[in-house]
Amino acid sequence: MSLKQSEAIVLRTYPLREADLLVTLFTRAEGKVKGIARSAKNSKRRFGGALEPLTWVRAYYDDREGQDLARLDSCDILESPLSTTVDYPRVVALEHVAEMLDELLPDREANDAIFRLAVSVLHQLRAGSIWMPLTYFQLWLVRLVGFLPELGTCLACGVALSGSLAYYHALADGLMCVQHKRLASSKLAPESRALAEQMFRAPVESFAEEPWAPSQCADLRRFLVQIMERHIEKKLVTAGMLARL
Amino acid sequence: MTRFAEPMARLIEELKKLPGVGGKTAQRFAFHILRASDEDAELLAEAIREVKASLRLCSICNNITDVDPCTYCTSATRNQRLVCVVEEPTNIAAIEKTRHYNGVYHVLHGALSPLHGIGPEQLRITNLAKRVESACIDELIVATNPTIEGEATATYLSRLFKSSGVKVTRIATGVPVGSDIEYADEVTMQKAMEGRREL
Repeated sequence: MSLKQSEAIVLRTYPLREADLLVTLFTRAEGKVKGIARSAKNSKRRFGGALEPLTWVRAYYDDREGQDLARLDSCDILESPLSTTVDYPRVVALEHVAEMLDELLPDREANDAIFRLAVSVLHQLRAGSIWMPLTYFQLWLVRLVGFLPELGTCLACGVALSGSLAYYHALADGLMCVQHKRLASSKLAPESRALAEQMFRAPVESFAEEPWAPSQCADLRRFLVQIMERHIEKKLVTAGMLARL
Repeated sequence: MTRFAEPMARLIEELKKLPGVGGKTAQRFAFHILRASDEDAELLAEAIREVKASLRLCSICNNITDVDPCTYCTSATRNQRLVCVVEEPTNIAAIEKTRHYNGVYHVLHGALSPLHGIGPEQLRITNLAKRVESACIDELIVATNPTIEGEATATYLSRLFKSSGVKVTRIATGVPVGSDIEYADEVTMQKAMEGRREL
Protein backbone atom coordinates (compact mmCIF):
# COMPACT_ATOMS: atom_id res chain seq x y z
CA MET A 1 0.00 0.00 0.00
CA SER A 2 1.42 3.40 -0.97
CA LEU A 3 1.99 5.98 1.73
CA LYS A 4 0.19 9.29 1.80
CA GLN A 5 2.43 12.32 1.87
CA SER A 6 1.74 15.89 2.82
CA GLU A 7 3.41 18.99 4.13
CA ALA A 8 2.58 19.25 7.80
CA ILE A 9 3.28 21.17 10.97
CA VAL A 10 3.88 19.14 14.12
CA LEU A 11 1.54 20.42 16.82
CA ARG A 12 2.04 18.11 19.80
CA THR A 13 3.51 14.78 20.81
CA TYR A 14 2.53 12.58 23.71
CA PRO A 15 4.45 9.54 24.98
CA LEU A 16 2.67 6.30 24.19
CA ARG A 17 3.71 2.88 25.50
CA GLU A 18 7.44 2.26 26.00
CA ALA A 19 8.95 4.00 22.98
CA ASP A 20 6.14 5.28 20.72
CA LEU A 21 4.82 8.80 20.33
CA LEU A 22 1.28 9.91 19.63
CA VAL A 23 1.70 12.83 17.23
CA THR A 24 -0.78 15.53 16.23
CA LEU A 25 0.01 16.97 12.80
CA PHE A 26 -1.63 19.83 10.94
CA THR A 27 -1.32 18.56 7.40
CA ARG A 28 -1.89 20.62 4.28
CA ALA A 29 -3.78 17.83 2.54
CA GLU A 30 -6.08 16.58 5.28
CA GLY A 31 -6.04 19.11 8.10
CA LYS A 32 -5.41 17.84 11.62
CA VAL A 33 -4.28 14.21 11.67
CA LYS A 34 -3.36 12.15 14.72
CA GLY A 35 -0.95 9.28 14.26
CA ILE A 36 1.46 6.95 15.99
CA ALA A 37 5.21 7.20 15.38
CA ARG A 38 6.49 3.77 16.36
CA SER A 39 9.80 3.61 18.28
CA ALA A 40 10.20 7.38 17.88
CA LYS A 41 11.60 7.72 21.39
CA ASN A 42 14.39 5.16 21.22
CA SER A 43 15.34 5.42 17.55
CA LYS A 44 16.21 8.89 16.33
CA ARG A 45 17.15 7.64 12.87
CA ARG A 46 13.67 7.71 11.32
CA PHE A 47 12.39 10.92 12.84
CA GLY A 48 15.42 12.75 14.26
CA GLY A 49 14.33 16.19 15.38
CA ALA A 50 11.34 16.18 13.02
CA LEU A 51 8.77 15.61 15.75
CA GLU A 52 9.65 18.71 17.76
CA PRO A 53 6.62 21.03 18.08
CA LEU A 54 6.14 23.53 15.23
CA THR A 55 8.56 21.78 12.90
CA TRP A 56 7.43 22.12 9.28
CA VAL A 57 7.86 18.70 7.70
CA ARG A 58 6.90 16.53 4.78
CA ALA A 59 5.11 13.67 6.51
CA TYR A 60 4.66 10.15 5.13
CA TYR A 61 1.81 8.21 6.73
CA ASP A 62 -0.95 5.72 6.08
CA ASP A 63 -4.40 5.11 7.45
CA ARG A 64 -5.42 1.66 8.53
CA GLU A 65 -8.95 0.46 8.01
CA GLY A 66 -11.14 0.80 11.07
CA GLN A 67 -8.57 2.79 13.03
CA ASP A 68 -8.70 6.49 13.86
CA LEU A 69 -4.96 6.87 14.28
CA ALA A 70 -2.68 6.98 11.25
CA ARG A 71 0.69 5.22 11.18
CA LEU A 72 3.40 7.82 10.78
CA ASP A 73 6.16 6.29 8.68
CA SER A 74 8.72 9.09 8.43
CA CYS A 75 9.15 12.86 8.24
CA ASP A 76 11.54 15.06 6.27
CA ILE A 77 12.29 18.39 7.90
CA LEU A 78 11.46 21.43 5.77
CA GLU A 79 12.09 23.98 8.51
CA SER A 80 12.81 23.51 12.18
CA PRO A 81 12.43 26.09 14.96
CA LEU A 82 15.66 24.63 16.37
CA SER A 83 17.59 26.14 13.44
CA THR A 84 17.65 29.52 15.19
CA THR A 85 17.90 30.58 18.84
CA VAL A 86 15.12 29.23 21.03
CA ASP A 87 14.53 31.39 24.09
CA TYR A 88 11.70 31.25 26.62
CA PRO A 89 9.45 33.93 25.03
CA ARG A 90 9.84 32.25 21.64
CA VAL A 91 8.97 28.79 22.97
CA VAL A 92 5.87 30.23 24.68
CA ALA A 93 4.87 31.88 21.38
CA LEU A 94 5.52 28.73 19.33
CA GLU A 95 3.55 26.53 21.70
CA HIS A 96 0.75 29.13 21.77
CA VAL A 97 0.48 28.77 17.99
CA ALA A 98 0.43 24.97 18.39
CA GLU A 99 -2.25 25.10 21.09
CA MET A 100 -4.49 27.45 19.08
CA LEU A 101 -4.29 25.25 15.98
CA ASP A 102 -4.89 22.09 18.00
CA GLU A 103 -7.86 23.51 19.88
CA LEU A 104 -9.57 25.41 17.07
CA LEU A 105 -9.22 23.12 14.07
CA PRO A 106 -11.41 20.06 13.54
CA ASP A 107 -9.83 16.69 12.70
CA ARG A 108 -9.38 15.71 9.03
CA GLU A 109 -10.59 18.96 7.47
CA ALA A 110 -8.07 20.57 5.14
CA ASN A 111 -7.64 24.35 5.37
CA ASP A 112 -4.99 25.61 2.99
CA ALA A 113 -5.37 29.27 4.01
CA ILE A 114 -4.66 28.50 7.68
CA PHE A 115 -1.77 26.23 6.72
CA ARG A 116 -0.16 29.00 4.64
CA LEU A 117 -0.79 31.47 7.45
CA ALA A 118 0.91 29.18 9.97
CA VAL A 119 3.97 28.61 7.76
CA SER A 120 4.46 32.31 7.02
CA VAL A 121 4.05 33.28 10.68
CA LEU A 122 6.49 30.57 11.83
CA HIS A 123 9.12 32.16 9.54
CA GLN A 124 8.68 35.42 11.46
CA LEU A 125 8.59 34.02 15.01
CA ARG A 126 12.19 34.65 15.98
CA ALA A 127 13.82 35.22 19.35
CA GLY A 128 13.26 38.87 20.26
CA SER A 129 10.39 39.42 17.83
CA ILE A 130 7.33 37.44 18.83
CA TRP A 131 4.59 40.01 19.39
CA MET A 132 3.90 41.13 15.82
CA PRO A 133 3.76 37.63 14.25
CA LEU A 134 1.72 36.35 17.20
CA THR A 135 -0.83 39.18 16.86
CA TYR A 136 -1.02 38.64 13.09
CA PHE A 137 -1.57 34.90 13.57
CA GLN A 138 -4.26 35.28 16.23
CA LEU A 139 -6.11 37.88 14.17
CA TRP A 140 -6.12 35.90 10.96
CA LEU A 141 -6.82 32.55 12.65
CA VAL A 142 -9.87 33.95 14.45
CA ARG A 143 -11.05 35.43 11.16
CA LEU A 144 -10.43 32.29 9.10
CA VAL A 145 -12.28 30.01 11.50
CA GLY A 146 -15.19 32.45 11.37
CA PHE A 147 -15.18 33.73 14.95
CA LEU A 148 -14.14 37.34 14.33
CA PRO A 149 -16.93 39.89 14.90
CA GLU A 150 -17.23 43.19 13.06
CA LEU A 151 -14.46 45.49 14.38
CA GLY A 152 -15.90 48.75 13.08
CA THR A 153 -19.40 48.92 14.56
CA CYS A 154 -21.12 48.64 17.93
CA LEU A 155 -22.79 45.31 18.48
CA ALA A 156 -25.76 46.89 20.25
CA CYS A 157 -26.60 50.04 18.23
CA GLY A 158 -24.63 49.54 15.00
CA VAL A 159 -22.94 52.94 15.25
CA ALA A 160 -19.48 53.24 13.62
CA LEU A 161 -16.69 53.02 16.23
CA SER A 162 -14.15 54.80 14.07
CA GLY A 163 -11.50 56.63 16.06
CA SER A 164 -13.05 56.02 19.48
CA LEU A 165 -12.48 53.43 22.18
CA ALA A 166 -14.35 50.15 21.77
CA TYR A 167 -15.30 47.78 24.57
CA TYR A 168 -15.51 43.99 24.72
CA HIS A 169 -16.91 41.61 27.29
CA ALA A 170 -16.55 37.88 27.89
CA LEU A 171 -20.28 37.37 27.37
CA ALA A 172 -20.75 39.67 24.36
CA ASP A 173 -20.49 38.61 20.72
CA GLY A 174 -18.66 41.71 19.52
CA LEU A 175 -17.44 45.22 20.26
CA MET A 176 -19.56 47.88 21.96
CA CYS A 177 -19.54 51.68 22.05
CA VAL A 178 -19.14 53.64 25.28
CA GLN A 179 -22.94 53.96 25.67
CA HIS A 180 -23.62 50.24 25.39
CA LYS A 181 -20.56 48.75 27.13
CA ARG A 182 -21.34 46.22 29.84
CA LEU A 183 -20.11 46.29 33.42
CA ALA A 184 -16.47 45.09 33.69
CA SER A 185 -15.88 45.47 29.94
CA SER A 186 -12.30 45.79 28.65
CA LYS A 187 -11.06 48.50 26.28
CA LEU A 188 -9.83 48.05 22.72
CA ALA A 189 -7.89 51.08 21.47
CA PRO A 190 -8.65 52.60 18.03
CA GLU A 191 -4.91 52.27 17.18
CA SER A 192 -5.07 48.51 17.71
CA ARG A 193 -8.19 48.25 15.52
CA ALA A 194 -6.50 50.34 12.83
CA LEU A 195 -3.49 48.03 12.90
CA ALA A 196 -5.81 45.04 12.64
CA GLU A 197 -7.32 46.56 9.50
CA GLN A 198 -3.81 47.00 8.07
CA MET A 199 -3.00 43.39 8.89
CA PHE A 200 -5.99 42.24 6.84
CA ARG A 201 -4.55 43.99 3.80
CA ALA A 202 -0.86 43.04 3.93
CA PRO A 203 1.29 39.93 4.40
CA VAL A 204 3.04 39.31 7.73
CA GLU A 205 6.46 40.09 6.21
CA SER A 206 5.48 43.71 5.60
CA PHE A 207 5.19 44.31 9.37
CA ALA A 208 8.55 42.73 10.19
CA GLU A 209 10.62 45.90 9.85
CA GLU A 210 9.59 47.77 12.98
CA PRO A 211 10.21 46.20 16.42
CA TRP A 212 7.17 45.67 18.64
CA ALA A 213 7.07 46.22 22.39
CA PRO A 214 5.06 43.64 24.39
CA SER A 215 2.48 46.34 25.13
CA GLN A 216 1.78 47.04 21.44
CA CYS A 217 -1.66 45.65 20.54
CA ALA A 218 -1.79 43.78 23.87
CA ASP A 219 -5.48 44.76 24.11
CA LEU A 220 -6.15 43.27 20.67
CA ARG A 221 -4.44 39.99 21.65
CA ARG A 222 -6.48 39.79 24.87
CA PHE A 223 -9.66 40.40 22.84
CA LEU A 224 -8.76 37.66 20.35
CA VAL A 225 -7.79 35.16 23.07
CA GLN A 226 -11.11 35.85 24.79
CA ILE A 227 -12.99 35.10 21.56
CA MET A 228 -11.12 31.80 21.14
CA GLU A 229 -11.57 30.74 24.77
CA ARG A 230 -15.26 31.56 24.56
CA HIS A 231 -15.70 29.26 21.57
CA ILE A 232 -13.60 26.33 22.83
CA GLU A 233 -15.11 26.78 26.31
CA LYS A 234 -11.81 26.49 28.12
CA LYS A 235 -8.70 28.51 28.88
CA LEU A 236 -5.69 28.38 26.59
CA VAL A 237 -2.82 27.28 28.86
CA THR A 238 -0.21 29.18 26.87
CA ALA A 239 -2.21 32.44 26.84
CA GLY A 240 -1.65 32.73 30.59
CA MET A 241 2.08 32.08 30.13
CA LEU A 242 2.25 34.79 27.43
CA ALA A 243 0.54 37.29 29.68
CA ARG A 244 3.22 36.71 32.34
CA LEU A 245 6.17 37.32 29.96
CA MET B 1 -18.46 -8.50 37.35
CA THR B 2 -14.64 -8.52 37.21
CA ARG B 3 -12.81 -11.43 35.61
CA PHE B 4 -10.49 -11.77 38.61
CA ALA B 5 -10.89 -11.94 42.36
CA GLU B 6 -11.05 -8.46 43.88
CA PRO B 7 -7.44 -8.36 45.31
CA MET B 8 -6.05 -9.56 41.97
CA ALA B 9 -8.08 -7.02 39.98
CA ARG B 10 -6.85 -4.30 42.33
CA LEU B 11 -3.20 -5.34 41.89
CA ILE B 12 -3.63 -5.34 38.09
CA GLU B 13 -5.21 -1.89 38.20
CA GLU B 14 -2.32 -0.53 40.30
CA LEU B 15 0.34 -2.09 38.03
CA LYS B 16 -1.36 -0.61 34.95
CA LYS B 17 -0.51 2.84 36.30
CA LEU B 18 3.22 2.16 35.76
CA PRO B 19 4.74 3.76 32.63
CA GLY B 20 4.80 1.43 29.64
CA VAL B 21 2.60 -1.17 31.34
CA GLY B 22 -0.64 -2.07 29.59
CA GLY B 23 -3.41 -4.43 30.67
CA LYS B 24 -1.76 -7.66 29.48
CA THR B 25 1.65 -6.84 30.99
CA ALA B 26 0.00 -5.83 34.29
CA GLN B 27 -1.81 -9.17 34.30
CA ARG B 28 1.49 -11.04 33.71
CA PHE B 29 3.20 -9.11 36.53
CA ALA B 30 0.28 -9.77 38.87
CA PHE B 31 0.29 -13.52 38.21
CA HIS B 32 4.07 -13.59 38.63
CA ILE B 33 3.70 -11.95 42.05
CA LEU B 34 0.91 -14.39 42.94
CA ARG B 35 3.07 -17.39 42.04
CA ALA B 36 6.18 -16.02 43.79
CA SER B 37 7.04 -17.15 47.29
CA ASP B 38 5.64 -15.17 50.22
CA GLU B 39 9.17 -14.02 50.97
CA ASP B 40 9.76 -12.62 47.46
CA ALA B 41 6.39 -10.85 47.45
CA GLU B 42 7.15 -9.37 50.86
CA LEU B 43 10.62 -8.19 49.66
CA LEU B 44 8.99 -6.43 46.71
CA ALA B 45 6.38 -4.75 48.91
CA GLU B 46 9.05 -3.74 51.42
CA ALA B 47 11.28 -2.30 48.67
CA ILE B 48 8.39 -0.15 47.39
CA ARG B 49 7.55 1.00 50.94
CA GLU B 50 11.20 1.85 51.66
CA VAL B 51 11.64 3.82 48.45
CA LYS B 52 8.73 6.05 49.43
CA ALA B 53 9.75 6.33 53.07
CA SER B 54 13.50 6.94 52.80
CA LEU B 55 14.11 8.80 49.54
CA ARG B 56 13.93 12.57 49.32
CA LEU B 57 15.49 15.39 47.31
CA CYS B 58 18.99 16.61 48.10
CA SER B 59 18.74 20.11 49.56
CA ILE B 60 21.68 21.28 47.43
CA CYS B 61 21.21 19.68 44.01
CA ASN B 62 17.64 18.25 44.05
CA ASN B 63 18.88 14.77 43.14
CA ILE B 64 16.94 11.87 44.63
CA THR B 65 18.85 10.60 47.65
CA ASP B 66 18.55 8.69 50.92
CA VAL B 67 21.07 10.96 52.68
CA ASP B 68 20.94 14.74 52.60
CA PRO B 69 23.15 16.23 51.13
CA CYS B 70 23.61 13.50 48.52
CA THR B 71 26.84 11.58 47.91
CA TYR B 72 27.78 13.78 44.93
CA CYS B 73 27.42 17.01 46.91
CA THR B 74 29.51 15.73 49.84
CA SER B 75 32.19 13.93 47.81
CA ALA B 76 35.70 15.18 48.54
CA THR B 77 37.03 13.75 45.28
CA ARG B 78 34.58 15.57 43.01
CA ASN B 79 35.06 19.10 41.68
CA GLN B 80 32.40 21.03 43.60
CA ARG B 81 33.01 24.16 41.48
CA LEU B 82 31.82 22.47 38.28
CA VAL B 83 28.03 21.97 38.10
CA CYS B 84 26.16 20.07 35.41
CA VAL B 85 22.48 21.08 35.13
CA VAL B 86 20.13 18.29 34.02
CA GLU B 87 16.37 18.00 33.56
CA GLU B 88 15.74 14.75 35.46
CA PRO B 89 17.59 12.61 38.05
CA THR B 90 17.75 9.80 35.46
CA ASN B 91 19.98 12.02 33.26
CA ILE B 92 22.72 11.78 35.90
CA ALA B 93 23.17 8.05 35.24
CA ALA B 94 23.78 8.74 31.53
CA ILE B 95 26.52 11.26 32.35
CA GLU B 96 28.07 9.08 35.06
CA LYS B 97 28.33 6.22 32.52
CA THR B 98 30.93 8.24 30.61
CA ARG B 99 33.31 8.11 33.65
CA HIS B 100 34.76 11.38 32.28
CA TYR B 101 32.82 13.87 34.36
CA ASN B 102 34.04 14.63 37.86
CA GLY B 103 31.88 17.60 38.79
CA VAL B 104 28.57 17.75 40.63
CA TYR B 105 24.97 18.13 39.46
CA HIS B 106 21.85 20.22 39.69
CA VAL B 107 18.48 18.67 38.81
CA LEU B 108 15.73 21.00 37.54
CA HIS B 109 12.99 18.34 37.58
CA GLY B 110 11.69 19.34 34.17
CA ALA B 111 12.17 21.86 31.39
CA LEU B 112 10.27 24.98 30.40
CA SER B 113 7.10 23.69 28.76
CA PRO B 114 4.38 26.31 28.20
CA LEU B 115 1.92 23.77 26.78
CA HIS B 116 2.06 21.94 30.11
CA GLY B 117 1.95 25.17 32.12
CA ILE B 118 5.60 24.81 33.21
CA GLY B 119 7.36 28.17 33.43
CA PRO B 120 10.54 29.21 35.25
CA GLU B 121 8.66 29.30 38.60
CA GLN B 122 7.84 25.60 38.33
CA LEU B 123 11.48 24.54 37.84
CA ARG B 124 13.90 24.12 40.76
CA ILE B 125 16.08 27.10 39.91
CA THR B 126 16.02 28.93 43.26
CA ASN B 127 18.67 26.79 44.96
CA LEU B 128 20.79 26.87 41.78
CA ALA B 129 20.71 30.67 41.96
CA LYS B 130 21.81 30.45 45.60
CA ARG B 131 24.72 28.20 44.63
CA VAL B 132 25.76 30.67 41.93
CA GLU B 133 25.38 33.67 44.27
CA SER B 134 27.55 32.01 46.90
CA ALA B 135 30.42 32.32 44.37
CA CYS B 136 31.52 28.73 44.83
CA ILE B 137 30.92 27.78 41.18
CA ASP B 138 33.31 28.29 38.25
CA GLU B 139 31.26 26.73 35.48
CA LEU B 140 27.68 25.64 34.84
CA ILE B 141 27.30 23.01 32.13
CA VAL B 142 23.72 23.07 30.86
CA ALA B 143 22.89 19.50 29.85
CA THR B 144 19.16 19.83 29.15
CA ASN B 145 17.75 17.82 26.23
CA PRO B 146 18.35 19.17 22.69
CA THR B 147 14.60 19.70 22.23
CA ILE B 148 12.77 23.01 21.81
CA GLU B 149 11.91 23.00 25.51
CA GLY B 150 15.42 21.94 26.58
CA GLU B 151 16.98 24.65 24.40
CA ALA B 152 14.61 27.30 25.80
CA THR B 153 15.59 26.21 29.32
CA ALA B 154 19.30 26.42 28.46
CA THR B 155 18.90 29.91 26.96
CA TYR B 156 16.88 31.02 30.00
CA LEU B 157 19.57 29.81 32.43
CA SER B 158 22.41 31.35 30.44
CA ARG B 159 20.65 34.76 30.45
CA LEU B 160 19.76 34.43 34.14
CA PHE B 161 23.36 33.81 35.21
CA LYS B 162 25.09 35.98 32.60
CA SER B 163 25.63 38.88 35.00
CA SER B 164 26.92 36.64 37.81
CA GLY B 165 30.26 36.08 36.12
CA VAL B 166 29.90 32.30 36.15
CA LYS B 167 30.92 30.60 32.91
CA VAL B 168 27.80 28.97 31.41
CA THR B 169 28.38 26.30 28.76
CA ARG B 170 26.03 24.08 26.72
CA ILE B 171 26.71 20.42 25.93
CA ALA B 172 27.51 19.79 22.26
CA THR B 173 24.88 18.44 19.87
CA GLY B 174 25.46 16.64 16.58
CA VAL B 175 25.93 13.30 14.88
CA PRO B 176 25.92 10.35 17.33
CA VAL B 177 29.07 8.20 17.53
CA GLY B 178 28.76 5.03 15.43
CA SER B 179 26.00 6.44 13.22
CA ASP B 180 26.11 7.37 9.56
CA ILE B 181 26.14 11.01 8.41
CA GLU B 182 23.91 9.93 5.52
CA TYR B 183 21.06 9.35 7.96
CA ALA B 184 21.47 12.50 10.04
CA ASP B 185 18.55 14.91 9.76
CA GLU B 186 19.04 18.52 8.63
CA VAL B 187 18.89 20.12 12.07
CA THR B 188 21.29 17.62 13.65
CA MET B 189 23.74 18.12 10.79
CA GLN B 190 23.42 21.92 11.06
CA LYS B 191 24.16 21.74 14.80
CA ALA B 192 27.11 19.43 14.13
CA MET B 193 28.58 21.87 11.61
CA GLU B 194 28.04 24.84 13.92
CA GLY B 195 29.71 23.00 16.80
CA ARG B 196 32.74 21.81 14.83
CA ARG B 197 36.15 22.13 16.49
CA GLU B 198 39.66 22.51 15.23
CA LEU B 199 41.78 19.35 15.10
